Amino acid sequence: MIGDEVAWRAGVERGIGVAAARALSPGIALLARDVQREEMAMRTLACWAGSLAPRVVVTPDTLLLEIGSCLRLFGGLEKLREAALAGIGAQGFCVWPAVTPTPLGAEWLACLHTDACCSDTESTRVQLDALSVDVLPDKAATALVRFGARTLGEARRLPSSALARRIGAESLQLLARAYGECPDPRPEFVFPERFALPLQLPAAVENAAALLFAARRLTAALAGWLTARQAGVREAVLRLQHRRDETPVPLQFADLTADGARFERVLRERLDRLTLAAPVEALCLEATQIGPLPGCNRSLFDADQGVKEGIGALLERLTARLGDERVYRVTPHADHRPECATRRLRLFEKTASGTVPALPRPLWLLDPPEPLREVDGRPHRKGPLQLLAGPERIESGWWDSGERVGDVRRDYFIALAEDAAWLWIYRECRAGGWFLQGYFS
Amino acid sequence: MNAALSLSDILVRPDVWRGRLAGAEVPALSSGFAALDAELPGGGWPRGALSELLADEAGVGECSLLLPVLNAMRDEGRWTVLIAPPHGLHAPAWVAGGADCAHLAVVAPESRRDLLWAAEQALASGAAGAVVCWAKQADPAQVRRLQVAVAGSDTLAFVFRPQRVRPEASAAPLRLALSAGREGKLGVEVLKRRGPPCTRTLYLDVPRPLAWRDDHDASLARPASAAAAARGPRPLAVA
Repeated sequence: MIGDEVAWRAGVERGIGVAAARALSPGIALLARDVQREEMAMRTLACWAGSLAPRVVVTPDTLLLEIGSCLRLFGGLEKLREAALAGIGAQGFCVWPAVTPTPLGAEWLACLHTDACCSDTESTRVQLDALSVDVLPDKAATALVRFGARTLGEARRLPSSALARRIGAESLQLLARAYGECPDPRPEFVFPERFALPLQLPAAVENAAALLFAARRLTAALAGWLTARQAGVREAVLRLQHRRDETPVPLQFADLTADGARFERVLRERLDRLTLAAPVEALCLEATQIGPLPGCNRSLFDADQGVKEGIGALLERLTARLGDERVYRVTPHADHRPECATRRLRLFEKTASGTVPALPRPLWLLDPPEPLREVDGRPHRKGPLQLLAGPERIESGWWDSGERVGDVRRDYFIALAEDAAWLWIYRECRAGGWFLQGYFS
Repeated sequence: MNAALSLSDILVRPDVWRGRLAGAEVPALSSGFAALDAELPGGGWPRGALSELLADEAGVGECSLLLPVLNAMRDEGRWTVLIAPPHGLHAPAWVAGGADCAHLAVVAPESRRDLLWAAEQALASGAAGAVVCWAKQADPAQVRRLQVAVAGSDTLAFVFRPQRVRPEASAAPLRLALSAGREGKLGVEVLKRRGPPCTRTLYLDVPRPLAWRDDHDASLARPASAAAAARGPRPLAVA
């Protein structure tokens, strides 16, 4: 039996029975251990840990991070430990941390909830000495208890030849590893080639916003995985799995990024706009487009780097909430017809250099053009218009007569209205009639 | 007393305080119009503060007023974000005006709520060099939010509002009313600025499609027939 922090404080410890646990904490919720989900959670956490440590080891019960080589990067042990705990806490996990120079020592101290944080062998020894012999394999532990040694410290005070005979060479080896007296190489966690992590939800979720919290585990894992691979993601998909089908939620980023906070922001905007067709039972986050993220040199005083990052993040946030078609760029397009001379682009599409017209063109274009009254053969708009320049004949588009704009034949004029507004108007040559098409704002 | 002492000699004395220079330390970007720069605290559009532009009729040069800003953004290599423009952008004209289309983002929100949200995000992020927002229906509290959002950044922030909000109080440190001036110029009244009030109306030579001629007169609009005008003396081109 393993309890969370609340249960542990109530006295629910390893090895006690169900009845005892109920007696200690009447409101306790007992869950069967699901090894498969546990493994999945461990893999998710291992991916996330890539953002903190260069080497990660997964054991059945613990997650080991080698942090000795990156202490300086994070500004010291205390800061790194805080960052790790905050990161795990944000994902809704409850952990028992321990820091020691040896992996096995940390494993044991963590399993027994000591909350130890030792950076040198001496303090580690003190901590380990106080541990119960239960951390050793059962047989060895029983033998030691019979011998009168209840803690590791007492056990180690026994003559080593006698100790070896009683507990076996294997357990002796374990002790030596924990105390750092012999090397303890471990197989490292291998970050997968492709990132596709599923997450089984404990219960079906019907509210899109509530998914954000659950998805946080996956986005944090993605950020860690990217950091470990020195890559960035441009496109990812969060699949919301229903009982029968699934809803993909695409996440697009302006540039390659490995920033977990950015994933979360974009995801939040996407989920806010989403109405779920059916309850979601599981999530799966998949990175569909990744690329190597080059490290960049930053000069000491130049703040430009940060600014460039900022605009990408800003436009992403706008796109995520308002929709792709509502945040765009424009570029000139070589077409004489004014309606076709502007092309909308997606935000980070490449721009072909456009042509600049030789003749004056209005900044604003009305779509569709506004029909004008004609009085005495003159166009009127809140009074008669004075034609200042023109006509400029635009006759083009015979090839796409089926299109919306189609074949046009118009005489354009620059006109001055009575309220002194400068307008761009045209007369339809075929059908006749005046139209206001633009403002020289 | 020395009779030859001139006014400029007195003005450089350290114990003479000039009200006009009270806001001189405001970081600003030249508006590109000398007459306007002379009236704006800091000598140009303020950075990190909201500039409110009141304009009703389109086509008097109200956007051309900001073209020098877009030029400056192109030179600085920073983005300009246009939020809820009133009409479609005619890209060739913007390029001809000096805007950099590669760094010009247009945001067209569906609702007023989204508009204000987008404006606040764009201003608060400080990532864009200039943000121009057309907020027809924003109330004073919302304008205040925008001003709070932009404060502290170096973004140039402009919000276009209709003339009818003129009597309302506004949190924007700079308020200009734009209207058609004589001879194709843009009339600019400085309604509010840091420092002493400005009482005169400025007439700026904003870029117009044609040079002003004496026979251009909207109010006269002589009853010449359209056909005569169409035959006009200066046909521009035939495409």
